[in-house]
Amino acid sequence: MWLSLLHLFTPYGLTKHTVQITANYLFIKPKSICSCYTVSSFTPLLKGNLVTMLTVEHVSKNFGSFQAINNVSFEIKQGDIVGFLGKNGAGKTTLMRIVTSFLAASSGRVFIDGEDITKNSLNTRQKIGYLPETPPLYNNMTISQYLKFAAEIKNVSAKKQKTQIAKVLEECNLEHVKHKNISTLSKGYKQRVGIAQAIIHEPKLLILDEPTSGLDPIQIQQVLALINNQREQRTVLLSTHTLTEIEQIAQRILMIKSGEIIIDESLKTLLKSEQETNQTSPITLERIFTDRHTLSSPSRNIAVENNGEHV
Amino acid sequence: MNKIMALTKKELHSYFSSPVAYIILIATLSLFNVLFFMLIDQNREVSLRDIFQVMEFMFIFIVPLLTMKLLAEEKANGTMEFLLTAPLTPTMIVLGKYLSMLIFYSLLIALTGVFYFIVEYFGEPDPYSILSGYIGIWLEGAFFIAIGLLTSSWTRNQIIAAMTSYLILFSLYFSTTFTKYFTGFAENALIQLSTRTHLENFAIGMITASDIIYYLAGIVLCLVLTRISIDHRLWQ
Repeated sequence: MWLSLLHLFTPYGLTKHTVQITANYLFIKPKSICSCYTVSSFTPLLKGNLVTMLTVEHVSKNFGSFQAINNVSFEIKQGDIVGFLGKNGAGKTTLMRIVTSFLAASSGRVFIDGEDITKNSLNTRQKIGYLPETPPLYNNMTISQYLKFAAEIKNVSAKKQKTQIAKVLEECNLEHVKHKNISTLSKGYKQRVGIAQAIIHEPKLLILDEPTSGLDPIQIQQVLALINNQREQRTVLLSTHTLTEIEQIAQRILMIKSGEIIIDESLKTLLKSEQETNQTSPITLERIFTDRHTLSSPSRNIAVENNGEHV
Repeated sequence: MNKIMALTKKELHSYFSSPVAYIILIATLSLFNVLFFMLIDQNREVSLRDIFQVMEFMFIFIVPLLTMKLLAEEKANGTMEFLLTAPLTPTMIVLGKYLSMLIFYSLLIALTGVFYFIVEYFGEPDPYSILSGYIGIWLEGAFFIAIGLLTSSWTRNQIIAAMTSYLILFSLYFSTTFTKYFTGFAENALIQLSTRTHLENFAIGMITASDIIYYLAGIVLCLVLTRISIDHRLWQ
Protein backbone atom coordinates (compact mmCIF):
# COMPACT_ATOMS: atom_id res chain seq x y z
CA MET A 1 0.00 0.00 0.00
CA TRP A 2 2.82 2.35 0.89
CA LEU A 3 4.54 1.69 -2.43
CA SER A 4 1.42 2.47 -4.42
CA LEU A 5 1.05 5.69 -2.47
CA LEU A 6 4.63 6.58 -3.26
CA HIS A 7 4.15 5.99 -6.96
CA LEU A 8 1.21 8.38 -6.95
CA PHE A 9 3.59 11.23 -6.14
CA THR A 10 6.29 10.50 -8.73
CA PRO A 11 4.95 12.88 -11.40
CA TYR A 12 5.46 15.76 -8.94
CA GLY A 13 9.23 15.69 -9.11
CA LEU A 14 10.40 12.43 -7.58
CA THR A 15 12.69 10.18 -9.55
CA LYS A 16 12.47 6.43 -9.88
CA HIS A 17 15.58 6.15 -7.71
CA THR A 18 13.93 8.12 -4.94
CA VAL A 19 11.05 5.66 -4.92
CA GLN A 20 13.53 2.83 -4.65
CA ILE A 21 15.57 4.36 -1.85
CA THR A 22 12.57 5.47 0.14
CA ALA A 23 10.93 2.10 -0.36
CA ASN A 24 13.95 0.52 1.26
CA TYR A 25 13.77 2.99 4.07
CA LEU A 26 10.03 2.45 4.33
CA PHE A 27 10.79 -1.00 5.64
CA ILE A 28 12.37 0.70 8.62
CA LYS A 29 10.36 3.86 9.10
CA PRO A 30 7.31 4.47 6.92
CA LYS A 31 6.14 7.65 8.66
CA SER A 32 9.17 9.71 7.74
CA ILE A 33 9.12 8.57 4.12
CA CYS A 34 5.56 9.68 3.73
CA SER A 35 6.37 13.18 4.94
CA CYS A 36 9.43 13.36 2.68
CA TYR A 37 7.35 12.54 -0.40
CA THR A 38 4.70 15.07 0.41
CA VAL A 39 7.25 17.82 0.75
CA SER A 40 9.49 17.02 -2.18
CA SER A 41 6.49 16.82 -4.48
CA PHE A 42 5.67 20.46 -3.72
CA THR A 43 9.23 21.81 -3.66
CA PRO A 44 9.31 22.97 -7.32
CA LEU A 45 6.26 25.16 -6.75
CA LEU A 46 7.99 27.05 -3.96
CA LYS A 47 11.21 27.76 -5.83
CA GLY A 48 10.29 31.16 -7.18
CA ASN A 49 9.95 32.72 -3.71
CA LEU A 50 13.04 31.25 -2.12
CA VAL A 51 15.75 33.37 -0.55
CA THR A 52 19.48 32.80 -0.69
CA MET A 53 20.59 30.80 2.33
CA LEU A 54 24.33 30.60 1.66
CA THR A 55 26.50 32.98 -0.34
CA VAL A 56 30.18 32.29 -0.88
CA GLU A 57 31.95 35.28 -2.46
CA HIS A 58 35.45 34.96 -3.95
CA VAL A 59 36.70 32.77 -1.12
CA SER A 60 40.32 31.63 -1.13
CA LYS A 61 42.26 29.74 1.50
CA ASN A 62 46.00 29.25 1.69
CA PHE A 63 47.90 26.94 4.02
CA GLY A 64 51.39 28.43 3.71
CA SER A 65 52.23 28.28 0.01
CA PHE A 66 49.52 25.68 -0.69
CA GLN A 67 46.30 27.12 -2.07
CA ALA A 68 43.47 24.86 -0.91
CA ILE A 69 40.61 27.05 -2.18
CA ASN A 70 40.98 29.42 -5.11
CA ASN A 71 38.48 32.26 -5.59
CA VAL A 72 35.33 30.18 -5.09
CA SER A 73 31.90 31.81 -5.45
CA PHE A 74 28.42 30.28 -5.40
CA GLU A 75 24.98 30.69 -3.86
CA ILE A 76 22.56 28.18 -2.42
CA LYS A 77 18.84 28.89 -2.24
CA GLN A 78 16.65 28.02 0.71
CA GLY A 79 15.31 24.47 0.57
CA ASP A 80 17.91 23.13 -1.87
CA ILE A 81 19.78 19.91 -1.33
CA VAL A 82 23.16 20.49 -2.96
CA GLY A 83 25.63 17.71 -3.65
CA PHE A 84 29.18 18.91 -3.13
CA LEU A 85 31.50 16.64 -5.06
CA GLY A 86 35.21 16.37 -5.52
CA LYS A 87 38.14 14.03 -5.10
CA ASN A 88 39.89 13.65 -1.76
CA GLY A 89 42.03 16.75 -1.23
CA ALA A 90 40.00 18.84 -3.67
CA GLY A 91 39.04 21.35 -0.94
CA LYS A 92 35.55 20.20 0.07
CA THR A 93 36.23 19.92 3.80
CA THR A 94 38.24 23.16 3.85
CA LEU A 95 35.38 25.06 2.23
CA MET A 96 32.83 23.52 4.60
CA ARG A 97 35.03 24.46 7.55
CA ILE A 98 35.19 28.04 6.28
CA VAL A 99 31.40 28.20 5.94
CA THR A 100 30.97 26.86 9.49
CA SER A 101 33.46 29.44 10.88
CA PHE A 102 35.85 26.72 11.98
CA LEU A 103 38.50 28.08 9.62
CA ALA A 104 38.95 31.64 8.43
CA ALA A 105 39.17 32.33 4.73
CA SER A 106 42.39 33.95 3.51
CA SER A 107 40.19 36.22 1.38
CA GLY A 108 36.56 36.51 0.35
CA ARG A 109 33.31 36.57 2.28
CA VAL A 110 30.63 34.12 3.37
CA PHE A 111 27.02 35.06 4.18
CA ILE A 112 24.53 32.79 5.95
CA ASP A 113 20.95 33.92 5.50
CA GLY A 114 22.26 37.36 4.54
CA GLU A 115 24.60 37.74 7.54
CA ASP A 116 28.37 37.94 7.20
CA ILE A 117 29.89 35.07 9.22
CA THR A 118 32.80 37.19 10.42
CA LYS A 119 30.56 40.02 11.65
CA ASN A 120 28.19 37.99 13.80
CA SER A 121 29.72 34.56 14.06
CA LEU A 122 27.59 33.37 17.01
CA ASN A 123 24.38 34.27 15.22
CA THR A 124 25.38 32.62 11.95
CA ARG A 125 26.62 29.48 13.74
CA GLN A 126 23.21 29.24 15.38
CA LYS A 127 21.74 28.89 11.88
CA ILE A 128 24.08 26.05 10.90
CA GLY A 129 23.93 22.36 11.72
CA TYR A 130 27.25 20.71 10.95
CA LEU A 131 28.33 17.11 10.79
CA PRO A 132 32.09 16.76 10.23
CA GLU A 133 33.49 13.74 8.41
CA THR A 134 34.08 11.96 11.73
CA PRO A 135 30.95 12.34 13.89
CA PRO A 136 31.97 14.47 16.89
CA LEU A 137 30.73 12.20 19.67
CA TYR A 138 31.58 11.73 23.34
CA ASN A 139 31.94 8.00 23.89
CA ASN A 140 31.31 8.17 27.63
CA MET A 141 27.79 9.58 27.12
CA THR A 142 24.52 7.96 26.20
CA ILE A 143 22.71 9.27 23.13
CA SER A 144 20.19 11.14 25.33
CA GLN A 145 22.92 12.76 27.43
CA TYR A 146 24.82 13.79 24.33
CA LEU A 147 21.78 15.31 22.64
CA LYS A 148 20.90 17.18 25.84
CA PHE A 149 24.40 18.62 25.93
CA ALA A 150 24.18 19.56 22.22
CA ALA A 151 20.78 21.21 22.84
CA GLU A 152 22.16 23.20 25.80
CA ILE A 153 25.16 24.61 23.95
CA LYS A 154 23.06 25.34 20.86
CA ASN A 155 20.61 27.61 22.67
CA VAL A 156 17.62 25.29 22.74
CA SER A 157 15.57 26.68 25.65
CA ALA A 158 15.18 24.49 28.73
CA LYS A 159 11.45 24.32 28.04
CA LYS A 160 11.88 22.99 24.52
CA GLN A 161 14.80 20.65 25.15
CA LYS A 162 12.76 17.59 26.04
CA THR A 163 10.43 17.82 23.06
CA GLN A 164 13.26 18.69 20.71
CA ILE A 165 15.33 15.70 21.83
CA ALA A 166 12.30 13.42 21.45
CA LYS A 167 11.68 14.86 17.98
CA VAL A 168 15.20 14.26 16.66
CA LEU A 169 15.35 10.82 18.27
CA GLU A 170 12.23 9.91 16.33
CA GLU A 171 13.38 11.60 13.15
CA CYS A 172 16.72 9.78 13.22
CA ASN A 173 15.13 6.52 14.37
CA LEU A 174 17.21 6.41 17.55
CA GLU A 175 14.48 6.10 20.20
CA HIS A 176 15.12 2.44 20.89
CA VAL A 177 18.83 3.04 21.57
CA LYS A 178 18.63 6.41 23.34
CA HIS A 179 19.96 5.03 26.62
CA LYS A 180 22.83 3.20 24.99
CA ASN A 181 26.36 4.39 25.44
CA ILE A 182 27.69 5.98 22.26
CA SER A 183 30.87 3.85 22.39
CA THR A 184 28.76 0.70 21.88
CA LEU A 185 27.00 1.92 18.71
CA SER A 186 27.70 0.77 15.14
CA LYS A 187 29.08 3.25 12.60
CA GLY A 188 25.66 3.73 11.01
CA TYR A 189 24.07 4.62 14.35
CA LYS A 190 26.95 6.94 15.22
CA GLN A 191 26.37 8.75 11.93
CA ARG A 192 22.68 9.13 12.78
CA VAL A 193 23.57 10.52 16.22
CA GLY A 194 25.87 12.95 14.42
CA ILE A 195 22.99 14.10 12.22
CA ALA A 196 20.69 14.30 15.27
CA GLN A 197 23.08 16.74 17.02
CA ALA A 198 23.32 18.75 13.80
CA ILE A 199 19.55 19.28 13.60
CA ILE A 200 18.73 19.51 17.34
CA HIS A 201 18.52 23.34 17.24
CA GLU A 202 16.51 23.38 13.99
CA PRO A 203 19.18 25.08 11.87
CA LYS A 204 18.30 26.66 8.55
CA LEU A 205 21.41 25.29 6.87
CA LEU A 206 22.64 21.74 7.29
CA ILE A 207 26.24 21.02 6.27
CA LEU A 208 27.21 17.37 6.07
CA ASP A 209 30.75 16.28 5.30
CA GLU A 210 30.70 12.79 3.83
CA PRO A 211 27.91 11.47 6.05
CA THR A 212 27.84 8.14 4.20
CA SER A 213 31.58 7.49 4.37
CA GLY A 214 32.41 3.98 5.56
CA LEU A 215 28.79 2.84 5.79
CA ASP A 216 27.36 -0.33 4.26
CA PRO A 217 24.75 0.00 1.44
CA ILE A 218 21.77 -0.32 3.79
CA GLN A 219 23.18 2.24 6.22
CA ILE A 220 23.90 4.59 3.28
CA GLN A 221 20.27 4.40 2.19
CA GLN A 222 19.06 5.00 5.74
CA VAL A 223 21.27 8.07 6.14
CA LEU A 224 20.33 9.44 2.71
CA ALA A 225 16.63 8.98 3.43
CA LEU A 226 17.16 10.83 6.69
CA ILE A 227 18.86 13.69 4.81
CA ASN A 228 16.09 13.68 2.22
CA ASN A 229 13.60 14.19 5.05
CA GLN A 230 15.37 17.45 5.93
CA ARG A 231 14.30 18.93 2.59
CA GLU A 232 11.09 20.19 4.19
CA GLN A 233 12.73 22.30 6.87
CA ARG A 234 16.22 23.24 5.77
CA THR A 235 18.83 23.77 3.10
CA VAL A 236 21.41 21.00 2.83
CA LEU A 237 24.98 21.11 1.56
CA LEU A 238 26.24 17.57 1.38
CA SER A 239 29.66 16.28 0.35
CA THR A 240 29.91 12.65 -0.61
CA HIS A 241 31.65 10.10 -2.81
CA THR A 242 28.55 7.95 -3.28
CA LEU A 243 27.49 9.52 -6.56
CA THR A 244 24.68 7.17 -7.50
CA GLU A 245 22.92 7.98 -4.25
CA ILE A 246 23.45 11.73 -4.50
CA GLU A 247 21.67 11.63 -7.84
CA GLN A 248 18.55 10.58 -5.99
CA ILE A 249 18.36 13.39 -3.49
CA ALA A 250 20.34 16.41 -4.74
CA GLN A 251 18.73 19.06 -6.91
CA ARG A 252 21.99 20.78 -7.66
CA ILE A 253 25.61 19.77 -8.05
CA LEU A 254 28.71 21.69 -7.07
CA MET A 255 31.90 20.01 -8.22
CA ILE A 256 35.26 21.19 -6.93
CA LYS A 257 38.63 20.36 -8.40
CA SER A 258 41.98 21.62 -7.12
CA GLY A 259 40.20 24.23 -5.02
CA GLU A 260 38.11 25.60 -7.89
CA ILE A 261 34.44 25.07 -8.69
CA ILE A 262 34.24 23.34 -12.07
CA ILE A 263 30.51 22.53 -12.10
CA ASP A 264 27.67 24.53 -10.55
CA GLU A 265 24.42 23.45 -12.14
CA SER A 266 21.11 21.86 -11.36
CA LEU A 267 21.41 18.09 -11.62
CA LYS A 268 18.71 17.92 -14.28
CA THR A 269 20.38 20.54 -16.51
CA LEU A 270 23.78 18.98 -16.00
CA LEU A 271 22.65 15.51 -17.03
CA LYS A 272 20.68 16.92 -19.96
CA SER A 273 23.51 19.06 -21.33
CA GLU A 274 26.03 16.26 -20.92
CA GLN A 275 23.68 13.86 -22.69
CA GLU A 276 23.30 16.30 -25.57
CA THR A 277 27.06 16.55 -26.10
CA ASN A 278 27.56 12.82 -25.73
CA GLN A 279 24.73 10.91 -27.31
CA THR A 280 26.46 7.57 -27.68
CA SER A 281 26.02 6.26 -24.13
CA PRO A 282 23.82 7.07 -21.09
CA ILE A 283 25.20 9.83 -18.87
CA THR A 284 25.46 9.38 -15.12
CA LEU A 285 26.90 11.64 -12.45
CA GLU A 286 29.61 9.09 -11.85
CA ARG A 287 30.66 9.29 -15.49
CA ILE A 288 30.70 13.09 -15.45
CA PHE A 289 32.80 13.01 -12.28
CA THR A 290 35.29 10.56 -13.78
CA ASP A 291 35.52 12.49 -17.06
CA ARG A 292 36.13 15.81 -15.34
CA HIS A 293 38.83 14.35 -13.13
CA THR A 294 40.73 12.33 -15.71
CA LEU A 295 40.94 15.02 -18.37
CA SER A 296 43.97 17.34 -18.37
CA SER A 297 44.67 17.74 -14.65
CA PRO A 298 46.55 20.81 -13.51
CA SER A 299 50.06 20.19 -12.21
CA ARG A 300 48.89 20.65 -8.62
CA ASN A 301 46.66 17.60 -8.89
CA ILE A 302 49.47 15.45 -10.18
CA ALA A 303 51.57 16.48 -7.21
CA VAL A 304 48.76 15.55 -4.82
CA GLU A 305 48.39 12.14 -6.44
CA ASN A 306 52.10 11.45 -6.43
CA ASN A 307 52.59 12.16 -2.78
CA GLY A 308 49.25 10.94 -1.53
CA GLU A 309 48.79 14.06 0.55
CA HIS A 310 48.59 17.82 0.30
CA VAL A 311 51.79 19.45 -0.81
CA MET B 1 26.20 31.28 31.65
CA ASN B 2 23.94 28.32 30.79
CA LYS B 3 26.33 27.22 28.09
CA ILE B 4 29.32 27.46 30.46
CA MET B 5 27.42 25.35 33.00
CA ALA B 6 26.53 22.82 30.28
CA LEU B 7 30.22 22.48 29.41
CA THR B 8 31.13 22.20 33.09
CA LYS B 9 28.54 19.46 33.66
CA LYS B 10 29.75 17.61 30.58
CA GLU B 11 33.34 17.70 31.86
CA LEU B 12 32.40 16.56 35.35
CA HIS B 13 30.35 13.75 33.85
CA SER B 14 33.36 12.70 31.83
CA TYR B 15 35.59 12.59 34.95
CA PHE B 16 33.15 10.66 37.06
CA SER B 17 32.03 8.26 34.34
CA SER B 18 35.54 6.79 34.26
CA PRO B 19 37.47 5.28 37.18
CA VAL B 20 40.29 7.82 36.76
CA ALA B 21 38.60 10.50 38.90
CA TYR B 22 37.89 8.05 41.74
CA ILE B 23 41.40 6.61 41.59
CA ILE B 24 42.95 10.08 41.75
CA LEU B 25 40.65 11.10 44.63
CA ILE B 26 41.30 7.94 46.66
CA ALA B 27 45.04 7.79 45.93
CA THR B 28 45.59 11.48 46.72
CA LEU B 29 43.59 11.40 49.94
CA SER B 30 45.31 8.20 51.09
CA LEU B 31 48.70 9.73 50.44
CA PHE B 32 47.74 12.94 52.28
CA ASN B 33 46.52 10.87 55.24
CA VAL B 34 49.79 9.00 55.51
CA LEU B 35 51.82 12.21 55.23
CA PHE B 36 49.53 13.98 57.71
CA PHE B 37 50.03 11.36 60.40
CA MET B 38 53.78 11.25 59.71
CA LEU B 39 54.03 15.04 60.11
CA ILE B 40 51.86 15.12 63.25
CA ASP B 41 53.89 12.31 64.75
CA GLN B 42 57.17 14.07 63.91
CA ASN B 43 56.25 17.68 64.83
CA ARG B 44 53.94 16.99 67.79
CA GLU B 45 52.02 20.21 67.14
CA VAL B 46 48.38 20.94 66.31
CA SER B 47 49.03 22.76 63.05
CA LEU B 48 48.52 22.09 59.38
CA ARG B 49 51.31 24.41 58.23
CA ASP B 50 53.60 21.64 57.01
CA ILE B 51 50.80 19.63 55.46
CA PHE B 52 49.94 22.60 53.21
CA GLN B 53 53.49 22.63 51.90
CA VAL B 54 53.38 18.89 51.31
CA MET B 55 50.05 19.35 49.52
CA GLU B 56 51.57 22.04 47.31
CA PHE B 57 54.36 19.70 46.24
CA MET B 58 51.92 16.83 45.64
CA PHE B 59 49.64 18.99 43.51
CA ILE B 60 52.54 19.73 41.16
CA PHE B 61 52.40 16.03 40.27
CA ILE B 62 48.62 15.55 40.44
CA VAL B 63 47.17 18.62 38.68
CA PRO B 64 48.81 18.01 35.27
CA LEU B 65 47.35 14.49 35.29
CA LEU B 66 43.91 16.02 35.80
CA THR B 67 44.24 18.85 33.29
CA MET B 68 46.14 17.17 30.44
CA LYS B 69 42.99 15.95 28.71
CA LEU B 70 40.90 19.12 29.04
CA LEU B 71 41.46 20.44 25.50
CA ALA B 72 43.98 17.94 24.08
CA GLU B 73 41.38 15.15 24.17
CA GLU B 74 38.78 17.32 22.38
CA LYS B 75 41.32 17.99 19.63
CA ALA B 76 42.38 14.36 19.32
CA ASN B 77 38.75 13.11 19.15
CA GLY B 78 37.59 15.76 16.68
CA THR B 79 35.04 17.14 19.15
CA MET B 80 36.82 20.51 19.22
CA GLU B 81 35.32 21.06 15.76
CA PHE B 82 31.90 20.38 17.26
CA LEU B 83 32.45 22.94 20.04
CA LEU B 84 33.95 25.60 17.80
CA THR B 85 31.21 25.36 15.17
CA ALA B 86 28.48 25.52 17.83
CA PRO B 87 27.30 28.97 18.97
CA LEU B 88 29.96 29.08 21.70
CA THR B 89 32.74 31.61 22.15
CA PRO B 90 36.27 30.41 22.97
CA THR B 91 35.87 32.21 26.32
CA MET B 92 32.85 30.04 27.17
CA ILE B 93 34.84 26.91 26.30
CA VAL B 94 37.79 28.04 28.43
CA LEU B 95 35.59 28.98 31.41
CA GLY B 96 33.47 25.82 31.19
CA LYS B 97 36.55 23.60 31.19
CA TYR B 98 38.29 25.60 33.91
CA LEU B 99 35.27 25.65 36.18
CA SER B 100 34.80 21.90 35.94
CA MET B 101 38.36 21.22 37.02
CA LEU B 102 38.11 23.82 39.75
CA ILE B 103 35.02 22.06 41.15
CA PHE B 104 36.81 18.71 41.08
CA TYR B 105 39.85 20.24 42.79
CA SER B 106 37.66 21.97 45.40
CA LEU B 107 36.07 18.62 46.19
CA LEU B 108 39.51 17.11 46.68
CA ILE B 109 40.52 19.98 48.98
CA ALA B 110 37.21 19.81 50.88
CA LEU B 111 37.77 16.13 51.63
CA THR B 112 41.06 17.01 53.38
CA GLY B 113 38.97 19.17 55.77
CA VAL B 114 38.89 16.12 58.02
CA PHE B 115 42.47 16.98 59.02
CA TYR B 116 41.18 20.10 60.77
CA PHE B 117 38.73 18.11 62.90
CA ILE B 118 41.48 15.65 63.82
CA VAL B 119 43.87 18.35 65.04
CA GLU B 120 41.01 20.11 66.80
CA TYR B 121 40.17 16.88 68.64
CA PHE B 122 43.72 16.61 69.97
CA GLY B 123 44.37 20.29 70.75
CA GLU B 124 43.40 23.86 70.10
CA PRO B 125 44.59 24.82 66.65
CA ASP B 126 44.33 28.37 65.32
CA PRO B 127 41.31 28.15 62.96
CA TYR B 128 42.26 31.38 61.15
CA SER B 129 45.72 30.19 60.16
CA ILE B 130 44.21 26.90 58.96
CA LEU B 131 41.56 28.79 56.96
CA SER B 132 44.28 31.02 55.53
CA GLY B 133 46.29 27.92 54.57
CA TYR B 134 43.27 26.43 52.84
CA ILE B 135 42.66 29.68 50.91
CA GLY B 136 46.32 29.62 49.85
CA ILE B 137 46.34 26.00 48.72
CA TRP B 138 43.03 26.51 46.88
CA LEU B 139 44.40 29.56 45.04
CA GLU B 140 47.58 27.72 44.22
CA GLY B 141 45.65 24.75 42.81
CA ALA B 142 43.48 27.13 40.80
CA PHE B 143 46.69 28.62 39.35
CA PHE B 144 48.10 25.17 38.56
CA ILE B 145 44.84 24.21 36.82
CA ALA B 146 44.98 27.36 34.67
CA ILE B 147 48.54 26.41 33.66
CA GLY B 148 47.40 22.86 32.87
CA LEU B 149 44.52 24.14 30.77
CA LEU B 150 46.89 26.39 28.83
CA THR B 151 49.33 23.58 28.01
CA SER B 152 46.41 21.32 27.07
CA SER B 153 45.38 23.91 24.46
CA TRP B 154 48.76 23.71 22.77
CA THR B 155 48.66 20.08 21.68
CA ARG B 156 46.43 17.13 20.90
CA ASN B 157 48.77 14.80 22.76
CA GLN B 158 47.89 14.47 26.45
CA ILE B 159 51.37 13.25 27.44
CA ILE B 160 52.98 16.32 25.85
CA ALA B 161 50.42 18.53 27.63
CA ALA B 162 51.24 16.93 31.02
CA MET B 163 55.02 17.11 30.46
CA THR B 164 54.82 20.79 29.49
CA SER B 165 52.79 21.48 32.64
CA TYR B 166 55.40 19.70 34.77
CA LEU B 167 58.13 21.80 33.20
CA ILE B 168 56.33 25.07 33.99
CA LEU B 169 55.21 24.03 37.49
CA PHE B 170 58.64 22.75 38.52
CA SER B 171 60.25 25.93 37.15
CA LEU B 172 57.88 28.04 39.25
CA TYR B 173 58.27 25.88 42.35
CA PHE B 174 62.06 25.66 42.27
CA SER B 175 62.79 29.16 40.99
CA THR B 176 64.07 30.19 44.46
CA THR B 177 66.77 27.52 44.16
CA PHE B 178 68.52 29.63 41.51
CA THR B 179 68.61 32.84 43.54
CA LYS B 180 72.21 32.16 44.64
CA TYR B 181 73.34 32.74 41.05
CA PHE B 182 71.67 36.16 40.82
CA THR B 183 71.57 39.42 42.72
CA GLY B 184 69.34 42.49 42.84
CA PHE B 185 66.28 42.59 40.59
CA ALA B 186 66.79 39.12 39.07
CA GLU B 187 67.11 37.55 42.52
CA ASN B 188 64.00 39.33 43.74
CA ALA B 189 62.10 38.39 40.58
CA LEU B 190 62.94 34.72 41.06
CA ILE B 191 61.77 34.87 44.68
CA GLN B 192 58.52 36.58 43.71
CA LEU B 193 57.97 34.14 40.85
CA SER B 194 58.13 31.10 43.09
CA THR B 195 54.84 29.58 44.25
CA ARG B 196 56.58 28.54 47.49
CA THR B 197 57.19 32.17 48.48
CA HIS B 198 53.51 33.01 48.25
CA LEU B 199 52.10 29.86 49.84
CA GLU B 200 54.40 30.22 52.85
CA ASN B 201 52.59 33.39 53.91
CA PHE B 202 49.17 31.75 53.65
CA ALA B 203 50.42 28.68 55.56
CA ILE B 204 51.46 30.80 58.56
CA GLY B 205 48.11 32.61 58.57
CA MET B 206 49.18 35.74 56.75
CA ILE B 207 47.01 36.86 53.84
CA THR B 208 48.60 39.67 51.88
CA ALA B 209 47.33 41.54 48.83
CA SER B 210 50.51 40.80 46.87
CA ASP B 211 50.09 37.04 47.35
CA ILE B 212 46.43 37.15 46.27
CA ILE B 213 47.32 39.32 43.27
CA TYR B 214 50.11 36.86 42.33
CA TYR B 215 47.67 33.95 42.11
CA LEU B 216 44.78 35.87 40.52
CA ALA B 217 47.06 37.50 37.94
CA GLY B 218 48.57 34.10 37.12
CA ILE B 219 45.11 32.56 36.69
CA VAL B 220 43.80 35.38 34.50
CA LEU B 221 46.97 35.43 32.40
CA CYS B 222 46.80 31.68 31.74
CA LEU B 223 43.06 31.79 30.90
CA VAL B 224 43.57 34.70 28.50
CA LEU B 225 46.51 32.88 26.88
CA THR B 226 44.35 29.74 26.54
CA ARG B 227 41.65 31.77 24.83
CA ILE B 228 44.25 33.29 22.48
CA SER B 229 45.61 29.81 21.82
CA ILE B 230 42.14 28.58 20.77
CA ASP B 231 41.55 31.74 18.76
CA HIS B 232 44.88 31.49 17.01
CA ARG B 233 44.08 27.97 15.84
CA LEU B 234 40.65 29.07 14.81
CA TRP B 235 41.62 32.09 12.77
CA GLN B 236 45.07 31.08 11.52
